[in-house]
Formats: sequence, C-alpha cells, structure tokens
Amino acid sequence: MSLDTPRRTEQDGTAVDAPTPTVTSGRGARRAARFVGRPREARPAAPGRRVLGVVRWTFLGVVAVYFLVPQLAMARFAFQNVPVVLLGPDDLLRGWSLRPLLDALAEPALWSAARTSALLALATVTLTLALLLPLAVVAEVRAPRLRPVLSAVTLLPWVVPPIALVVGVAATFRPLAPWFLSSTFALVPFYAIWAMPFTYRALDAGLRSIGARTLVEAAQSLGASTPRVLLRVLLPNLVPSMVAAGGLTTALVLGEFAFASLLLKDTLPTYLVVYQKQEAQAGMALALTVLLLTALLLGTVVRLLRRRGLGVSTTGL
Amino acid sequence: MTAATPAGQLDPVRPAPVRRAGAGGPAAGPVVRRVAAQVRAVRGWLVLVPFLAFVGVFLLWPTAAVLVRSITPGGAFGLSALERAVSGPYRSAFVNSLTLSAVTALLGGVLGLALALAMRGLTRPRWLRPALDSWSSVASQLGGVPLAFAFVAAVGTQGIVTKALLGVGVDLVGSGFSLSTTAGMALVYLYFQVPLMFLVVSPAVEGLRSTWQEAATVLGAGPVRYWRTVAGPVLAPSVLGGMLLLFINAFSAYATAYVLSSSGQLVPLQIRFVLQGNVITGEQDLGYALVTWTIALLGAGLLLVQALQRRAARWSRA
Repeated sequence: MSLDTPRRTEQDGTAVDAPTPTVTSGRGARRAARFVGRPREARPAAPGRRVLGVVRWTFLGVVAVYFLVPQLAMARFAFQNVPVVLLGPDDLLRGWSLRPLLDALAEPALWSAARTSALLALATVTLTLALLLPLAVVAEVRAPRLRPVLSAVTLLPWVVPPIALVVGVAATFRPLAPWFLSSTFALVPFYAIWAMPFTYRALDAGLRSIGARTLVEAAQSLGASTPRVLLRVLLPNLVPSMVAAGGLTTALVLGEFAFASLLLKDTLPTYLVVYQKQEAQAGMALALTVLLLTALLLGTVVRLLRRRGLGVSTTGL
Repeated sequence: MTAATPAGQLDPVRPAPVRRAGAGGPAAGPVVRRVAAQVRAVRGWLVLVPFLAFVGVFLLWPTAAVLVRSITPGGAFGLSALERAVSGPYRSAFVNSLTLSAVTALLGGVLGLALALAMRGLTRPRWLRPALDSWSSVASQLGGVPLAFAFVAAVGTQGIVTKALLGVGVDLVGSGFSLSTTAGMALVYLYFQVPLMFLVVSPAVEGLRSTWQEAATVLGAGPVRYWRTVAGPVLAPSVLGGMLLLFINAFSAYATAYVLSSSGQLVPLQIRFVLQGNVITGEQDLGYALVTWTIALLGAGLLLVQALQRRAARWSRA
C-alpha cells in the first residue's frame, strides 16, 4: 500500500481528480492563509468578482431551466388529465393522477420488451467485459505496446454508427445466416461492439488510477502467483470500473433504437415508440419512468465511482 | 521507482528487472534474451486474436462489404452510386445533417465549455458538482426516444412552454418554429450535446492549475492576457476535440431524429428509408453509398479528434 501511495497522489494531482489538490495549489494555500489570519484586503478585485458571480449563477440557472423544463413538461403531460388548451394558472394542480402509468404498466407487451432489453443488457455487459477486461489488463501490465492498437480499434465504432452498421449487417448476414439475424440475441455482438469505446476507456482509466502495474509488481515481488495476483489483487481493485463500464453499457443498450428498430426486434425503446403512438399519455408516462430509472442507474454508478476516487469523465475519449 | 530505494538493500539479487527497458535500455543482452523478448512480444499480440476476430466479423466485415458494394453498383466498378448519394434529395439530406451537426457542435461546445468554466472551483453547495456530473453522464447517454418525447411535451404544438409563451404573446407555432425543423432539432440535440461537452472538457478545465494564473499575475499579466496566452492555448485542443466529438455524435444520432420527424431530410433517416422501403434493384446501392459517405465523414472527424487529443495530452500529463 505504501508502495502505491506516491504514484497515486501524483496521478490525482495532475489529471484524474483535480479538486483534491496538494497543499501547494492555490485554493488550499488560500484556505491555509485564512487560518494564518491574512488580512481580507488581500483580494483587491472584489466588485469584479461579484459581477462574475452573478453572471455565473445566472448562467447556471438558465442551464438548469433548460435541463428541467422538458422533464417537467413530460411529467405534466403524463400525469395531468387537463388538455394544454384548457390549462390556466388556476388549474395547475387539478387532475393529477398516476392512472396513465398504471395503465402502461398493465400491458404485458411492456414486460416482455423490458425483459428482452434487460437480458440483452446483461449479455452485452458480460460479453464486453469478457472480451476487453483481459486485454486491458495485459495491455496495462504486460504489453504497453498493445495500448495504442486497442485504443484505436475500440474507437472504430464511433466511425460506423448503428444506423450505418445495420446496413452492412443486413447485407452480409441476411444471405449467409438468416437464422442468426432472426434471433433477438443477434443484437448482442453489435451492442458489444458499440459499447466498446466506453467499456475500454472505463477499464483503462480504472487500471491507471489504481496503478495496476505497480500493484502487480509489488504482489509478484512478494511472491504471489499469477492467478493470485489476478484474483486477489487486480480484480477487487477493478470492481468499481467494471461496474462503471457495466452501467454505461446497460444504459446504452436500454436506449438503443436504430439497430433494434431496423432489425424489427421488440426492445424497450422500440416498444416505447409504438406504444406512444397508440396511447399518447400513457406512453409519455412510461418514457418518463424509463428515463428516471436510467438516470438513477447511471447516477448510482457515478456516485460509486466518485467514492472510490475515480472521475466520471470515462465517457467521451 | 522512488519507492524502490528503501528496499534497495534487498535488491542486488535481482538487479531491477521490473522495468522492461524498451528502446532506451541496454539492448546488448545475450541473443537468448532477445529471442525470448520477441517470443513474448508475439504472445502479447496473440492475446489480441479473439478480440480482433470478433471486431472483424461483427464490425469490419459488414462495413467493408458496404464500402465495396457502394463502389461496385450492379456488380461492376463505378462511382455512379456514390455520385447519386450526394445529388438531388440526398444532397439536401447531407446539407441538413451537416448544418445540424455543425450548429449543435458549435453551440453545444461553447455552452458546455461555459458550463465547465462556471463550475470551476465552485464548492459551496456541496451537492451541485456531483449532481451535475451524474446528470451530465445521464443526459449525454440518453438521447433517444424519451428525450424526444420530453421536448414534444414542452415545445411541441401542444406543449406546455408553447402554451405559456402564447399567454405572454409569443406565438411559437405561428412563427414557424417546429421540432422537425433544423432549429427545433438543434434545440433537442443540445440537450445531450452540452452535457457531453461538459464531460469531455471538464478534466482540461479542472487541470488548469491556479499556480499558472498566479505565476502569470506575478509576471504582470492581466486576466485577458492570461486567458489569451496561457489558459486559451492549453484548453484549445480539448475544446476543438470535444466539438468534433459532438459533431460526430450529432451526425450519427438517430432515435431522436426518427421520433421528431420520421420522414425528415437527414442522412440517418434517408439510410433507413432506403434500407426499409421495399427496394427496387439499384436502390440498395444508393443506401450503401449513403453509408459510405457517412463513414468517410465520421472517419475524417475521428482522425482529427485523435490528433487534437494527442496535443491536449501533452498538457494534462506533463
């Protein structure tokens, strides 16, 4: 553990987690200075700072409104039985009921679509982790030369978005293996491909932030066998980033529409579209519920990561 | 490396074999060792085989098939399909898609950067930062169907914001605004573009050391000069890279566009049209050509992102 510490702080200080800087950094020093009792006049730009504060909070307020209003509008549409035309200031509180959601939940087709999506997510998470976890470990610990290769290959799905890939899939698999495409689980390998950029980056960031190479070297120099190193040292430390990768993948699978729609599979998103056309209000209620559940799932993942000192920025690049 | 010094007395038995000396190390080892290293290198590549096979079968092969078919319409080599895919109605689809992607990348980039800057060093409501981080990762991933519904409920013809604005005297529908126009779509796309930019650019913004600003101030630079000569150049690669990423993201978005205007003039929707419609022979080649153009565009974008990313890495790792 003490072997690992210097490297860890070094990494935290630079890129991964800047808000917890070393004492030399500005905010810490300023905070320390306050304890020493530095006079208040040391900050000359107080009025400018206040203007900046107003601008900052106004901007944050506008962003918050933009983020919140569509959700609130969806909630109103879903749960209030008053047409927009009749809506005035006095009957804002009239006609709210959970009926539409209960109606939506009573549809058996929903549950079969949800089950399909859940199974797809589970299978996809398993497949991506099985493919990428060993590779990420090998690339970090044994063969750093693989790293650029992996990083480049896992970015390829960005170039071929689902709507483009599905054309190729239809062109190649349909004549050769029609039985394959007719199965719902044909989606799994393509979802795995699509989740690759996120999964690899989450795993890679995790391996780096725990200082995997140092850990392995320390364990080996203390006489641990390879399986022991993998199972007792690396795996427990990697659980948060595996959960993160899994959570992101699950969110992707639960939201993926292009592939499922064009291959005529009944997943949650395709069901949402069909159902909303039949039952506008109940469809909204269902969509809102799905949105909130996914948000909860991802939020939990992010919080779990933060507690373990990992950043959330595993997403993009 | 520094941690090895306290254990230095124990080490002479094994003279630091831990560091696999790459190019810089003493390469003049015995031949056996060099061969062993080569074997190990080959074994390292062998680990890749199942993974590459998987990617090959499920990604590269279908993609290559499309590319090949788009340049051999009707079985013989020819560029007619590729030409047809960027003329007539398809040209306007490309123009619309490019406009939408460029506008949302630019606006989303600026707003996402502003958001990251506004959040910089903000610690007071302690819940705000984690809440925004979580919400950003949710919103940036959750384009798709529910989001489109949310905007229909808000600013659609029967939306609550539309109605509220009408009450104040602003006729949104009458002014020609509709969610299926480019402006309407841009409004919706920004919902996932801004958080994505925030996620991408936050590490760079947080990485601006306050010591740099202090150093600049000590050397006599005002805030404008500091931003122009220090912070700006440091942030530039991440910002541009982020914007390109947003461009790619918007260009390939499908579900939102489908719900808002399923017959719309956008490349992803046109691809679906060609693929799904009961295709006359020859139309299929058109679909392949549309996909080829898309891949070419996104590929060029991604190469640019990578180049910028490499530049940005110089700062975040130094």
